Parts: sequence; structure tokens; C-alpha cells
Amino acid sequence: MGLAAPQAAMAPGLLSAAGRERLAFMLLVAPALLFAGAFYFLPIAQVLWISVSEPRPGLGNYAQLFTSTSIARVLATTARICAITTAITLVCSYAVAYALTHARPTIRRLLTIGVLLPLWVSVLVRAFAWMALLRREGLVNTALLASGLIDHPLGLIWNEFGVVLGMVHYMLPYGILPMAVQMRQIDPALAAASRGLGAGAFETFWRVFLPLSLPGLIGAGVLVFIFSLGFYVTPVLLGGGRTIMVAEYISVQIMDLLRWGTGTMLATTLILAILVALGLLSRVVDLRQLFGAR
Amino acid sequence: MQEFAEDAAVILAERGRGLSRRRLLAAATALGIAPSLAARAAVPDVVLCNWGGDAIKAMTDAFVVPYEKATGGKMVIDGSGPANGKLRAMVEAKHVIWDMCDSGVAGIGELGPLGLLEPIDYSIVDRSHILPEFGYKYGVVNYMFSSVLAWDTTQVKTTLSPADFFDLKKFPGKRMIRKDSQGMLELALLADGVAIDKLYPLDQERALKKIASIKDELLYWTTGAQSQDLLRSGEAVMGWLWHTRANLLKQDTKGRIDWSFKGGLIQPGLWTVPKGNPAGKQAMVAIATLQAVPGQITLLGAMGNGPANPLASSSVPADLMSVDPGSPANLAVQARISAPWYEANYGASLKAFLDMVSS
Repeated sequence: MGLAAPQAAMAPGLLSAAGRERLAFMLLVAPALLFAGAFYFLPIAQVLWISVSEPRPGLGNYAQLFTSTSIARVLATTARICAITTAITLVCSYAVAYALTHARPTIRRLLTIGVLLPLWVSVLVRAFAWMALLRREGLVNTALLASGLIDHPLGLIWNEFGVVLGMVHYMLPYGILPMAVQMRQIDPALAAASRGLGAGAFETFWRVFLPLSLPGLIGAGVLVFIFSLGFYVTPVLLGGGRTIMVAEYISVQIMDLLRWGTGTMLATTLILAILVALGLLSRVVDLRQLFGAR
Repeated sequence: MQEFAEDAAVILAERGRGLSRRRLLAAATALGIAPSLAARAAVPDVVLCNWGGDAIKAMTDAFVVPYEKATGGKMVIDGSGPANGKLRAMVEAKHVIWDMCDSGVAGIGELGPLGLLEPIDYSIVDRSHILPEFGYKYGVVNYMFSSVLAWDTTQVKTTLSPADFFDLKKFPGKRMIRKDSQGMLELALLADGVAIDKLYPLDQERALKKIASIKDELLYWTTGAQSQDLLRSGEAVMGWLWHTRANLLKQDTKGRIDWSFKGGLIQPGLWTVPKGNPAGKQAMVAIATLQAVPGQITLLGAMGNGPANPLASSSVPADLMSVDPGSPANLAVQARISAPWYEANYGASLKAFLDMVSS
């Protein structure tokens, strides 16, 4: 598309009124397209190119997806952690978004601040905060031991539990906000009508509100899943090093081992997986609405 | 992943200059006046890339000042970190800005075979000022560091032997190791009874099996700061870590954490020169100049990195002797890493190691 504008500009006389309007539009978006092309698509194309040209031309790197047990294990771990994170995030986010939608304005403002605040705290700081809370001699274990509820410190971090906890914590705003936006658009009169027609509170939720909020739920789910795929710091710090996700594996391949072919192949695979997910998502919900473009 | 050199920079950033201010100031004063501008113009500037933080200050005192005095040339430190991936990108783009890099065994092993490094010119760099096995084709020793065993004396009442690391009955509790095959395979084999001079070629399978035998109790650190934190906070009762961090732990905890070079592995920090470096041969001259003993002792005082020059041991101050990985007494009880083994096997060994970790 970046090339279309200059080509069209060469022969303006041949254009109809609609064509001229289209040209004006293209010229207006051309700077943005050029920028995205030079600084976004070109580097990604380079990554794609390396993945099919190194160490030798061909699809050898991609064959590793099916032949390398190491890569299969890393991808499986990534998919599993992301799925668990997404599921838990969605359940928690739904409850918060529901409360946010139905709360009085004052409460809603407070809740919104509570949801937004953590967005400004770096992922590193959050990981260290969880460590301080959950370690052997951390606040949680100390309190539980002192209260006599447990005899030995619980293994709350350095395992997948810690990783998922840290990731869910990070992902909550990304789950809550799109859902809340969507829920706010559900006409409250529908619930009132349902109650008026004799349905109970639960039945109203189950048969009216939940189906209407489903697009927001699915959209938030895909969004959270996509974000989770790229997690690096949280698994490294809270997983005690045992949980190796694909971002860490890519970093080792590119920065340490110089296996750029393998690293870029995994990066490309991730991007493709994300595009497929977005493609599926766009069939269910309006992407522009989900990402706040309208 | 974080290499030793990078962690050494972090330590300095955390510590300020408290440990060594006196020594650094003494060194800086002793080194006298700057050379004349006319002499400077004759030799090209040399850019030394290290891992930043206060390592810039430490290497300025230990290396830059003596170099400028000795040669009349100028040396500039770039603290952005010579990671393998970055160096490769730089050389392939034919836009090299570094002349010498604070690198290591994984640096020459991965970059050298791809033709991304200049061979060290041993007609300029003096082989008699290093331990012979640490002078490689694409890298020459810059300082020494060790991977050692440390333990929490409140949990472990006796001096630990390397084999005790795997004895969960006698010493229950979590252990920590570095998330890397380099060093960890060796320490596992040494703990399993392999003699310090019989390590190579490494029996990787045996080493990984040994490590996997206590996998449920293992934590893996990726940065030196993390290794220090895990032991200090009591999360792990013992661990394998870099001697610089072990020494800081011992100082910080007033001996609660103890450690030993015994059964450890000595590794060289290496100077490497990127292919097509701007200053050309002057990089080799700089490396040769930095082989002088006083600067290396300044670095030991500032960072804990041991002198690479064996002639330095007689000049190491008494209070630093016990923590100098290359001192004769400490050298005798440690194994020495083999860079050629890693050049041939690092990729496969790291892959097998990560498989072991995640399976």
C-alpha cells in the first residue's frame, strides 16, 4: 500500500472524482504508512528473511517446529502457561468489569483508578514485590506460620504457581478494560425487561447479560493470550528459572548462541500465531472498538 | 543471559566505591600527568566496550589511565555491553565501533568460528604474561573469575565438600545453580568425583544426570544479583555462584554465608577484538599494555576480578590474596575451563541443559 500513492500520483488526469478522493486519502495516510513501513514492516521482513536464509536457505528452521523436542517443549510450556493465565485473568476480570459497570459513579471512579494504577508499575518491580510477599520468609508465609495454620513454609514461588500469579496480576487491566467498555454498552433496560418478564437475578445474568457480554469476554481473552505469549521477566524471576517460555528461548538463540535462524523462526512463528488469533478475533468482535479506535 | 563481566559491572554499581575507594584513589594519584597532545595524534583512539555502570570507573583507573600514560594514545570506554548478538550485528553491518571487548569463553566460542573476531596478535600480546591455556586464537585472558560453592552456615554446620551439594539426606534444602551449561557441568562432575585435571572432554550426559538427580530442589539464577539474593534471604541453603558474589555475601552476612574455591572452576574473562575494528593493530597494543601488573591489581581491588598475569600474584596485597582466584593456593584446588570444548559444544550443551531444566 505504501507504493500505491506515488504510482497513482503519476497520472492524476486519468482519475475520476472518486479516484481523486481516493488519491487525497492515500496522500494523507502516506506519511503514516511510510513510517510504519520503514520502521515496522521492513525490520519484520528482515526477521522473516533471516528465518528462511540462515544457516542455509530453505525451511530447515521451520522443520525444527516438528523435529526438535526442545522447541516443542518450550512452545508447549508457553501455550500451557498462557492458557492458564488467560483463563484465570478472564474470570477475575469479568467480576471486576461487572462491578465496574454496575457500581455507583464514585465507586466506579475508585475502581477505575485501582485498575489503572498497576499499569504504571514496571513488570520488574511487580516481580520483586511478589518475591517479598511469597518467599519462604516472606510476609505470607510468616503470617501463616505465626497463625499456626501451617507448619512449614508453602512453596508459593519458584514454580509455575508463582509464574501464573505474576502474569495474571500483570494482565488484569488488559482483561478488565475491554470487558468494561463492552459491558457499558449493554442496555440496562434489557435486564429490567428480563426481570419484568419474571426471570430471577441469576437467570437474567445467564440468559441476557452473559450472552451480550460474550464478545467483550472473547476479545479480552485473545488480547490477554497474545500479551502473555511474550512474557520474559516474570517467568525468569518468579519461576525460579524452571519455567522456560519462548521469549527467553528466543533471547538465548539471538543474543548468546547466535542461532539467528532458530531465533527468528520462533519470532516469526509467534507473530503468525498472533495474526491468526487476531484474524479469528476479528470474526467475533469489532477490533476497532476493542482497541479503542471508536 | 548475564555473563560474568556484566555482573561485575552491576556489583560496582550497587557498591559504589566503598570497598576500594582508598586503593582507587592511590592508583589514580600514582599514575601522574596526562601525555602531550602531539603524542596522542600519532596513534588511533581505542574504544573499549565493557558492561557499564561503575565498571567504567574501575576500568578507567585500572586500564585507561595506564594505557594513555604508556602509549600517548587515547582510550574511550563504551559501557553498552558487547553481547554476542550485538557484536555480530555490528560486524555484519560493517559499522564496527569497538576495538576491544570485555568478553568470555562463550564470546570467542560463538563469534570466532563465524569469522566475527580478529585473531589475537601474539607478536604484540605477551604470552609469558598469561597462563598459557588462556591465550586463545580469538581471545586472550583479561582477568580471572571462578564458579564456586557457597553455603549458609546456619543450615550447614560443617565445611561443605563438593560432593555434599548432592547429598539431600545430610543437607536438606533448596540449592541454586546458574542457568547455563558453562561451569555448571564442570561443578557437577567435580562433585561426582572427577579429578580437576580429568574433566575434559566433559561427560555431558553424566553431568546432566547428576544435576537432574536433585532437580526438585534446584533453583536457577540468571543474574549475579539474583544468586546473592537467594542465598542471603535463606531461599537456598547452598549454591554455585561467581566468587565475586560469594565474597560479597560473606562480607555482608558477617560470615553467615561461607564459601570455598575448593572444587571450583576458574574461568578467564577475555579480551576480544571485533573483525574490522577501527583502530586496527592499536587494539593489540592496548591489550598488551593492559597486561601490566599494577592495573590488574587495581581491578582486583575494585571489582574482585583476579589478575590474569601470573607475575601479579607476588604483588597482590595480603588482604586480597584469599579472594584472588588466580593465586597459586587457590589455583591448585580448582579446575580450569577449556574454551575449545565450549567452542565445539556450547550450543548443544546449553540446549541439553535447558531441556533438563524444563523437562
